[in-house]
Amino acid sequence: MSNSTSSVTSGQDAHPQAGNSASGTPADPGVRSILRRETRSSRALAAGAAAVLVIGVCVYGLLESALRAIGQQPWLIDPQTAAERLVKLPEGISPLLLGATGAVLVMFGLIFLLNALLPGRRARHLLDDPRVAVVVDDEVIAAALAKSARAAANVTQEQVMVVVSQRLVVVNVRPTSGVPVHEQRVQSAVEDELRAMAPSPMPAIRVNVAVSGVVGA
Amino acid sequence: MNGTPHVLNRILVAILGLLMTASGALLVLLTSVPSVAQWWHGWSADVYQRAAYLAEQTRIPGRQESWLWVAAAAVMVILIVLMVAWLAQQGKGRANLIVADYEDGTTPGEVQIGGGVAEQALKAALAGRADLAAVFVATYEVKGRPGLRVRVHPRQGVSPQVLAAEISRLVEALDIVVGRRTPVLLHIAGGARARFSKAERVR
Repeated sequence: MSNSTSSVTSGQDAHPQAGNSASGTPADPGVRSILRRETRSSRALAAGAAAVLVIGVCVYGLLESALRAIGQQPWLIDPQTAAERLVKLPEGISPLLLGATGAVLVMFGLIFLLNALLPGRRARHLLDDPRVAVVVDDEVIAAALAKSARAAANVTQEQVMVVVSQRLVVVNVRPTSGVPVHEQRVQSAVEDELRAMAPSPMPAIRVNVAVSGVVGA
Repeated sequence: MNGTPHVLNRILVAILGLLMTASGALLVLLTSVPSVAQWWHGWSADVYQRAAYLAEQTRIPGRQESWLWVAAAAVMVILIVLMVAWLAQQGKGRANLIVADYEDGTTPGEVQIGGGVAEQALKAALAGRADLAAVFVATYEVKGRPGLRVRVHPRQGVSPQVLAAEISRLVEALDIVVGRRTPVLLHIAGGARARFSKAERVR
């Protein structure tokens, strides 16, 4: 755009520029990192809780040490007494209370720790598009596959259940009593829809047709 | 697609989790295992003696208190400031402009295009569609460059690839209008909004 002389709002001008700048395509490293982050869960909530917790502890510590520094009465416990109590710990407090406090601490600590260390993969797939970076919730994929399976099996919405996970799609069909369902036809319909969708990673498909049918559907 | 510092979040949350787990486990062991209580007595008394000695040595001349208290208070103030700064980093990255540094020889001055242009255009283009329950568009700054984030909630059964292709065409039209290719993230989302809306039977 820097050395073009024609009007910037005309379409003929903008397009060639857009074509060779190649920014914004999913191959762009910036966009790729966005897509990677969009398929992982956010730690903002845990981070906020952690920060508030540390701030609270610090403010309390500051209050007590300030009270001590200006020679006032402590609010709850003065730091020196607290340290002496800590040193004598198993005594001076009921073991039940101490154990319960420890267990609660361990529980919240583990929540924070696992939140930070586990990969936290979200139930999402990526779609390939030349212009836009696309993330799809697995729920949406399942609904679309359920629709095509329902049409192929000729059953109602309630008789089809689709579960989409990272690498596997399970299609459960309960046929109407007396009306056989062609498993092969359902399989190929779901396969066609999934191939047209081309989510990445591409899941495998398993179709289960229930042995017992639904009466009066 | 925002400025949340994800690596920092993970590291700091992991450190806090580790500290809490370790101190909680110590408390539980103190109550349940007598030998741990023995060890704790010896070790913590030793540490306490040394701290008391240190406090004696660092007494402020003419007063009873040690300046270690002042140092500890300063450390806590710094910690609080750091935590507030960390909190302020979460979820930031909203931008106002999608084009900020437009340069061409013919236009005198500088051209800036607000994010509202793209947001309103996309929202208006998608507003009348029967297969969408809701549309959200926002401008974010990604690695110093503005980008658009589009979130659509389709009704149940809508093929995501068809929706993506159609929105992709809209975005290409927007590129022509704006004159600049901005990175666009399209999130086709499920959730309660889609689940409780009626399924689309006819298209």
